[in-house]
Amino acid sequence: MSFFAFTGAIEQGLVYGLMTLGVFITFRVLDFPDLTVDGSLPLGASVSAVCITAGMNPWLSLFPAMAAGFLAGMITGILTTRLKLLHLLASILTMTALYSINIRIMGGRPNVPLITKPTVIAPVRELVSSFGINPWLASSFLFLAMVILVVCILIWLMRTEFGQALLATGDNPKMITSLGVNTSFTIVVGVGLSNSLVSLCGALVAQNQGTAEVSMGVGMIVDGLASIVVGETLFGGRRIVSRIISVVLGSIVYRLAIALALSLKIFKATDLNLITASIVVASLCLPKVKTYFQSRSYRAKID
Amino acid sequence: MRNLSSIEVPQLEKPQVSMVETANTKMLTATSLVKYFYRGTVNEVLALDHVDLKVDSGQFVCIIGSNGAGKSTLMGCVSGYSPPDHGSTVLDGRDITMWPEYRRSKLIGRVFQDPLAGTCASMTIEENMALAFRRGRRRGFRSGVTKNERELFRASLAKLDLGLDSRLTDQVGLLSGGQRQSITLLMATLIKPKLLLLDEHTASLDPKTAELIMKMTKQLVEEERITTLMITHNMQQAITYGHRLIMLHHGRVILDFDQETKSKLTVTDLLQHFHEVAKNGADSISDRMVLG
Repeated sequence: MSFFAFTGAIEQGLVYGLMTLGVFITFRVLDFPDLTVDGSLPLGASVSAVCITAGMNPWLSLFPAMAAGFLAGMITGILTTRLKLLHLLASILTMTALYSINIRIMGGRPNVPLITKPTVIAPVRELVSSFGINPWLASSFLFLAMVILVVCILIWLMRTEFGQALLATGDNPKMITSLGVNTSFTIVVGVGLSNSLVSLCGALVAQNQGTAEVSMGVGMIVDGLASIVVGETLFGGRRIVSRIISVVLGSIVYRLAIALALSLKIFKATDLNLITASIVVASLCLPKVKTYFQSRSYRAKID
Repeated sequence: MRNLSSIEVPQLEKPQVSMVETANTKMLTATSLVKYFYRGTVNEVLALDHVDLKVDSGQFVCIIGSNGAGKSTLMGCVSGYSPPDHGSTVLDGRDITMWPEYRRSKLIGRVFQDPLAGTCASMTIEENMALAFRRGRRRGFRSGVTKNERELFRASLAKLDLGLDSRLTDQVGLLSGGQRQSITLLMATLIKPKLLLLDEHTASLDPKTAELIMKMTKQLVEEERITTLMITHNMQQAITYGHRLIMLHHGRVILDFDQETKSKLTVTDLLQHFHEVAKNGADSISDRMVLG
C-alpha cells in the first residue's frame, strides 16, 4: 500500500468516523435501525455547498448542514413514533424523499462544484505547510480534531440525565416509560442528533473532495454498520466511553482494510461492494469462531 | 355510583384501616371502568365490566383472580398502558384517565412480573437507580449520577443485605433475576410514589427469592405508607400481606375483604367463596341489567 493510499484511508476513516458515530447512536444506543443516513449525508453536503456558494463562511455553513440533518432525522423519528410506521420503512421513505430534496437544494442539479470556493480545509493546508509538513495530511489533522471534539461531546452527553434517558430508551423502553420518560421524544431527538452528525460528515466530505453530489450517500449505511461491527469486534468494551471510541477506531480500520484489499492486484475498484460485504461477514463471524475454539480447548482440558 | 361489590357480596364491609391515620382520604378512585378487547368483532371480550375501586391513602390492596379475570387490564387502566374505553381514574385528586403512560409515571411506581423488565441490563446499578431517582423530574444536561446520589443509593442497597451496595458500578445484566427484581422494587419506591403497582412481581422467582421480595415489599410499603395495588396468583400471599383483598372474575369485582375478615381466611375458604360467587354469576348479571 502506498503512502497516499494509507494516509488517504486514515483521512477517510476519520471523516466517516463522524458518520459512524451517528449510525452508532441510532443502531446501538437507540436500537433503531435508521437508513435515513444515505439521504442525510448528501443533504449535509448540498446544504453546506449551497451556503458556501452563496458566500457563507465554510465553517458557519456546517451549522445549517447539521440543522438540516437534524430535521431529516426528526422526520424519520416522527413517522415512527407518531404515525407508527416501522422504523426501517420510515427511514427508507425519508431517504427516498431526500434524494429529490437534495437536488432541489442544489438548484435542480445533481452536484455543486466547490473546487474554486473557500473550504474549511484550505486554511489548515496553509498552516500545516508553514510548519513544513506535507499539506496532503492537512485534512487528516482537521478531521482528527473534529472527531476528538465530537467524541468528547458525545461522552459528556451520554453521561447527562438526558443521555442516560437516551441509553435507557434503547435498552428498555417499557422501563424508562414507567420512570416518566416520553420515549417518542427521546427517539425523535436521538435520531435527529444522529443524522446531524451524518450531515456534518457529508459537509466535510464535500468540502474535502471539492464537490457535493447527490449520489455520495449511496451505501453509506453499510459502511457505517461495517465500521461499528469492526470496531466492536476489535476494540469493543461495555462502558459507553469505550464503545464510542471503539466505533471511531473501527471506522479507521475498516477504511484501511478496504485500501489494503484494493491495493492487491487481484481486485478492481468495482469490487468494492464485494469487499465491503466480505469484511462485514468476517468481522461478524470472528467472535463466534473465537468462542468455538475457546470452548474446544476448554473441553480438551477437562477430558 | 354503583357499588358492585356490595350488591354481589353480602358479607362485604367497608375496609377499616386502623393503622393508617389518613384512612378517610381516597388516593385512587377508579369509577365505572370498562374495557373491551377486539371490540366489534366476533372475538369481542369484555375485560372490565364497570369496575369501581376506591383505595384509601396508605392502603395495601391485593388483587386475585383467575387468568382473564381482568387483573392486568385493570392495572393497564391505572398505569396508562391501555386506557379504559369508559370510566375515569382519579389519582391523588388528579383525573389521570387520559394522561399518557409516561406522564402518569411521575406519580406511579411499578414493578413488573418479568424480573428483567424493570431495569436496563446494559447500564450499571447506580445508573439504573439514578434513572429512577429522576422519576417525575425534568431530565436536562446535568450529570446523570451525582456523588451525593451515589451515597444515597449505597445506603438504600445496603438495607437489602444482598451485598449489592459494593457493586454500584456493575452492569445490571450481570445480576440474577431476584437481585434485579429487588433493585426494581427499590427503584419504584426511591421517590415515594402516590401509588405502587406490583404486577405479579414474585411470580417468576423461585419460592425462596419470592419470599424475600415479599418481605422487602412489606417493609418498604409499610415504612413509607405507600398506597399499593398488588396482583398475585398466590392466594396465601394475598391473605398474608396487605390490608384488603379483592377478587376479580369476568371483569368484575366479586369479593372485597377488609383486613379483619381477610386475616381469618384460609386458601380453602377463599376458593369456596370464589365457587359460590362464580355459580351465582348468571343472576347478578341479570340484576345488573335491570338495575344498570
